[in-house]
Amino acid sequence: MAVFYSGVALFLLLTLVAGLWRVLQGPTPADRMLAAQLFGTTAVACLLLLAQAFGRPHLRDVALVFALLAAVTAVAFVRRTWTVREEDDAAD
Amino acid sequence: MQLTDFLTLLLLLAGAGFFLAGTVGLLRFPDVYTRLHALTKADNVGLGLVVAGLVLQAESWAAMGKLLLIWLLVLLASASVAHLVARTALQKGIRPWKR
Amino acid sequence: MTSVKIKICWSSIISRLGLFALIWWILTDGAAPSWWIGVPAVLLAVITSAALIPPVSLVWYEFLRFVPFFLVRSLTGGVDVAWRAFHPGMAIAPDLITYPLRLPPGLPRVFMANTVSLLPGTLSVELGSNFLQVHVLDARKEFLPELEKVEQGVARIFGASLKDSKGGECNAAI
Repeated sequence: MAVFYSGVALFLLLTLVAGLWRVLQGPTPADRMLAAQLFGTTAVACLLLLAQAFGRPHLRDVALVFALLAAVTAVAFVRRTWTVREEDDAAD
Repeated sequence: MQLTDFLTLLLLLAGAGFFLAGTVGLLRFPDVYTRLHALTKADNVGLGLVVAGLVLQAESWAAMGKLLLIWLLVLLASASVAHLVARTALQKGIRPWKR
Repeated sequence: MTSVKIKICWSSIISRLGLFALIWWILTDGAAPSWWIGVPAVLLAVITSAALIPPVSLVWYEFLRFVPFFLVRSLTGGVDVAWRAFHPGMAIAPDLITYPLRLPPGLPRVFMANTVSLLPGTLSVELGSNFLQVHVLDARKEFLPELEKVEQGVARIFGASLKDSKGGECNAAI
């Protein structure tokens, strides 16, 4: 089963990387913000699978922190960086 | 192979399929709102299925609880983040794509 | 009824105590020695939350009834969006619709907005003073019955009526 868990984790990692193309491409800042969503779910699933594959339950705590951070980062980004930078652009 | 292992296998494969669908939607859909639909819904179902598959293998009740807690947390986070991104996008004047 | 009452709602304190203790137990994998730190941490969390968040009345029975509805619908939501993503012609016809809210302001509305984002084909965009703006993936589908069903479910969970908003009592609060 361990090989299977790692295999699924690897597959999820590939979908994550493919999703990053959209983040690079944009075209709007909102599209880049989707990276937070992507990491918040896919990376968490990856970590949970790896915790099971290698018998390292502590990786679940990493997943938990990741989930918390993804939420906080995304909110901070939307509330501060994106909004403020766009206002600056408008002022120029 | 035990029945639980078999169920885990099925749930994880189904979960992986939803993650793939989320990424495909993210790449193919025409604007940020539709992409948000794809990411929030498909990825959350994907994570839910992965969590369900792993819960069957969990070594203790607390571990099971932790997996469910993580899923709930991600559910809450991604629903709020999706709302926040969509709301800000609309306020910034990003118009929804129409057929 | 709108007078400011500073009274301790015991049922709320006890539910929060139970909830936070459960979370601590989960986070520490049930390790017994961790309770030396866990007990003060849980107590502090209860005190802080009591100071910051007033008691919320929840109808547990209705909440439990809402869970299967939510799980089934969000699974449908995933299948729906996955099908549209893989569909060669991308079967989407997105639009913005405005839904007039009858729920009382505050937590029930936020709960509804978040729920709507996870249901098939809907994404809440703007939560206004008395409306919810929803982005729908396929405007050819009828969305109002679904949204009404969600709103009624949320109203039942928070023990609120949709006609006139009234404050809940303290007897099943968290």
